[in-house]
Amino acid sequence: MTQRQSLLAELIARRELVLNFVLRNLKQRYKGSALGFLWSLLHPLFLVLIYLIFIRLMRFPTSMPHLLVGVMVWQFLSLCAGDAATVVLANASLVKKTWFPRIILPLSAVLGNLVHFVLSLLVLAVALPLLGVSPRSTWLHLPWLIALQFLFSLGISLGLSALNVFFRDVEHLVPIALMSWFFVTPVIYSAELVLNNPTFPPWVDTVFFANPMTALLMWYRHAFLGDPLPAAALWPGFLGVFVVFSLGALLFHRLEPRFADEL
Amino acid sequence: MSAPAVAIAVSGLGKRYRLQHQGQTTLKTAALRLLSRGSKRDEEFWALRAVSFEVRQGETLGIIGRNGAGKSTLLGLIAGTITPTEGAVRTNGRISSLLELGAGFHPDLTGRENIFLNGSILGLRRRDIAQRFDSIVAFSDLERFIDHPVKHYSSGMFVRLAFSVAMEVDPDILILDEVLSVGDERFREKCRVRIGEFRRRGKTFLIVSHDMDTIQTICDRVLVLDRGQTVLEDVPTRAVSEYHAINALGESPGEGPARREWGSREAVILGVSLRDARGDRVDILGAREGFTAEVRWRATRRIEDPVFGFALCDGEGRLLYGTNTAIDGCTIPAIEGDGAIELAVETIPFQRGRYYLTFAIHSRDHKTFHRLDNCSAVTVTPDGEHAGTVRLEARWKTPG
Repeated sequence: MTQRQSLLAELIARRELVLNFVLRNLKQRYKGSALGFLWSLLHPLFLVLIYLIFIRLMRFPTSMPHLLVGVMVWQFLSLCAGDAATVVLANASLVKKTWFPRIILPLSAVLGNLVHFVLSLLVLAVALPLLGVSPRSTWLHLPWLIALQFLFSLGISLGLSALNVFFRDVEHLVPIALMSWFFVTPVIYSAELVLNNPTFPPWVDTVFFANPMTALLMWYRHAFLGDPLPAAALWPGFLGVFVVFSLGALLFHRLEPRFADEL
Repeated sequence: MSAPAVAIAVSGLGKRYRLQHQGQTTLKTAALRLLSRGSKRDEEFWALRAVSFEVRQGETLGIIGRNGAGKSTLLGLIAGTITPTEGAVRTNGRISSLLELGAGFHPDLTGRENIFLNGSILGLRRRDIAQRFDSIVAFSDLERFIDHPVKHYSSGMFVRLAFSVAMEVDPDILILDEVLSVGDERFREKCRVRIGEFRRRGKTFLIVSHDMDTIQTICDRVLVLDRGQTVLEDVPTRAVSEYHAINALGESPGEGPARREWGSREAVILGVSLRDARGDRVDILGAREGFTAEVRWRATRRIEDPVFGFALCDGEGRLLYGTNTAIDGCTIPAIEGDGAIELAVETIPFQRGRYYLTFAIHSRDHKTFHRLDNCSAVTVTPDGEHAGTVRLEARWKTPG
């Protein structure tokens, strides 16, 4: 009698299914739209324009390159979290009627968004020199950074997709939570605003930097733009990446056997 | 030669569902449930319990039973889509399950794209699918439409494509849930031929179907399920007649006139089976056919001069016919212990409809020992185009 293979071995054996799901998601997203993939670039660009106008009005210190990096990076997380809630529900008939490692559903959604993200970073790498930022050796940090953010987004996606099968409230909470999270993360403003700001009590710094997205974003800006990287303040954030991934994976693993009963 | 290896081993399998009284779980209901822990408000329901069996490689096992008997739950558990509450399933070999035709088909994608997507869900490599692509398309007869989105397909085209993919997966174990009754007669014949080939190549089949002809033709053994439990595991003919018996005796509640049961129970009716002229158990008759009802009884004490009664009602509960052994001049001196009596109905004078049978044991002065109102039913199916309910033996004659 064969035992069920380990999850990793199974995922490798089923890599073509993962690929097919990713392709299906991508095809589905752009089916019928004239501009197709261009939208995944246009969308963050429009956001950047809107923020730029807002920030000029508010007189926050920021720059176009900072904003571009922030919005692109945030976009990856926000798309993953947005897809996560419905990724298992949208495939209810598959889950009920066919067997494959269920993790493939959130995994392929995150991978699809990763494809967009990598493409938008390539565009960014071309755009930055035009804005006066010359390529630097720290750009080589990017693969590590992308891997870290991928792990983080996968953790979020695993947790949310599993929870939403049981509590449909999750999909309504996600946009609200994302919005609040966006404002406590230095996406459209600079971390300098919070860092060592004498008007805030010292615990604010601790909480602010415990946010894995803050840690990731500051490292991205360090890699792309050469911003300072206060590693000492950021390690709880990086640790948070692994905590979130483990929690999400655990939650998914625990709830997965009951998916078919609930759908 | 040693016996073939076990392909599927099911032991003590059970699946419990909780029936929620109101729709979806939300945070609010979940929170309420947490607060009121201890008070079990959800009803529990065992869809399947204590089911054990083995299927050897190369065998074809049929699973039959009424709606809600647990057939699909059992297949889901074996296919791995449902997690068991208790017990275990062990399988040996690659499984391909077709629990629903077209599960995983995406309406916006073309037939071609869906073949690759569906094939990979069923566990095929892209290379293997590409190799079999032509024969999949040929089998489905969809050459002209293969590059159109499947949302424009008719339902017949849709199932042909889904079935063709599943048949080309070439698994060791194939699980089919009620999918053999698809397509037109020509396509079904193709499927039967293909399944025959698979069986000759030693593949293991697990089939759920309501089509008793299919079950009798292709199964080696049949498992009869009822209310989540194994009733019988036997050769197809015996299993199918058991299935008919379950259907005849156990009407689902709420259908037809009320079933009632009363009496002093000094003598009881243990069961009634209906058989056709060949002695097979039936619950469906053709017009002008007859049946024999065997009434098994048990008398806890000696009863002198008992009377057995029979009545036939229609679906509205109207009495259509009633008789008893006293009226018909059949005298029974006494009954004691276990026994049986037969009532032969030579031809049923109806040509369509469902009729409900009542049986009783009483004394000559109408003291009821046991009476079962509408305890079984027969369905009569028309043999011609005559209108109406009853069947008259009427003949046309042209003068001269």
